[in-house]
Amino acid sequence: MTLTLSDFVTRAKIDRATLEIWIEEEWLLPRGRFDTLEFSETDLARAQLIQNLIDDLGVNTEGVGVALHLIDQVHDLRRALVELTRRRRS
Amino acid sequence: MKDPYEALGVARTAPNEEIKKVYRRLARKHHPDVNPGDKEAEAKFKEISAAYDFLSDPEKRRRFDAGEIDASGAERPQQKYYRDFAAEDGDGRYASGSGFADFADTDELFAELLGRRRRSARGADLQAQLAVDLLEAITGASRQLPLPDGSTISLTIPPGVEDGQVLRLKGKGAAAPGEGSPGDLMAVISIRPHRFFRREGNDVRIDLPITLKEAVLGAKVKAPTPSGVVVLTVPKGSTSGTVLRLKGKGVALPKSPGDLLVTLKVALPKEPDAELEAFLATWSPKGEEDVRKEFAP
Repeated sequence: MTLTLSDFVTRAKIDRATLEIWIEEEWLLPRGRFDTLEFSETDLARAQLIQNLIDDLGVNTEGVGVALHLIDQVHDLRRALVELTRRRRS
Repeated sequence: MKDPYEALGVARTAPNEEIKKVYRRLARKHHPDVNPGDKEAEAKFKEISAAYDFLSDPEKRRRFDAGEIDASGAERPQQKYYRDFAAEDGDGRYASGSGFADFADTDELFAELLGRRRRSARGADLQAQLAVDLLEAITGASRQLPLPDGSTISLTIPPGVEDGQVLRLKGKGAAAPGEGSPGDLMAVISIRPHRFFRREGNDVRIDLPITLKEAVLGAKVKAPTPSGVVVLTVPKGSTSGTVLRLKGKGVALPKSPGDLLVTLKVALPKEPDAELEAFLATWSPKGEEDVRKEFAP
C-alpha cells in the first residue's frame, strides 16, 4: 500500500516542514520525486520510530541520524544472519 | 494494568522531572526497535509508556493519587514497530551496506549478503547548450565546458556527433540533497554550419570551383578536406557537376569513416575574355552532340 504525502503527514501526525527535514536528512527515503512522493507502511513505521526516538527516548536531533544508521546496520546484519541460517539448513 | 509507579519503579512522591528521566532511561532500554529480536521488549515498552502517559498527565496523576481512578484504560493505541518492517525491507531502501565494507571486500558470501547499497536521492540533472563547429563534429574535438560551480571540465566531442545530440557527463550535475550521488550534466550539442563543408550523414560534401581550362585539359588542384588540404586530380574533360569521391575523408569514425564528395563546378572567367570569345566564335566542334537531348519532347 502506498500513501501520498498528505495521507502520510496525517497518519504519521507530523507537519510538512518536519517531514521535509526528515527527508532532507535521509531519515526517510520515500519513492518518487518532489511532488509525486510515495510512502509505504515501512516509511510510516519508521516515522513513528523517529518520533519515539525524539519524544520517548530523549534522543536529540543529531542522535537520531546516528541511531537510525545503527538500527539499519543491525537489520542488515539480522537479515544476513537469517539468510545464513536458511542456507545452512538447506 | 499494573500500578504506574511500580511499572516505572518510581516513588509516589517523585517529581515530574524525575519521572520523565526514569521513563526515558527505561524507554531507551526497552524500545522494540532498539531490541529488534526481543519479543518481550514490546510488552515491556507498552507497559512503561502507558504508565508514563498516565503519570505525565497532572490531572490523571492527581486523581489516581487521590484514589478516584485506577490505572486501567491507560493503554496506548496499537503501534506497529519499525522492526516488523525492517525484517523484510524488500527493496533495501534503508539497507546501509556501508558499515560492512570491510567484510564485503574480503569475502564473497558477505559481499553478497551485505553488499546492497543504499538507494539515495540523486541530485538533479543539469542541461547546458554546447555549440560546436561543423569541423569539430566531423573530426572530433576536445572542449572545456564551464560547470555551474565555476570550475571547468574537459569534454571529448566524438566524431560524428549530431545536431541536438546529448552528451551525458555522469556525476557533473547538481549535488544530491543528502549523501546520494550527484546528478548528470547533459550537454546538448548544436552544430554551427561551415562556410563550404556540408554534412550528409557520415559523408561530407563540398563544391569545388575549377577553371574551364582545368575542366577541359585536366589538372592537379588543391582541395580542402576536413583534415587538411590535399592535391586532387581533376580528370581531363570533367564536366560541371562531376562528383569525385575521396574515401575516408568524411566524418572521422574510427571503424568506418565517411567520404568526402567533391562536386566540380566549372567557373568561367569573371571578366569577358576576348581571346576565348574569338576562339569559340570560330570553333566548330566535330560531331556536335545535343547536350539537352534528354529534355527533348
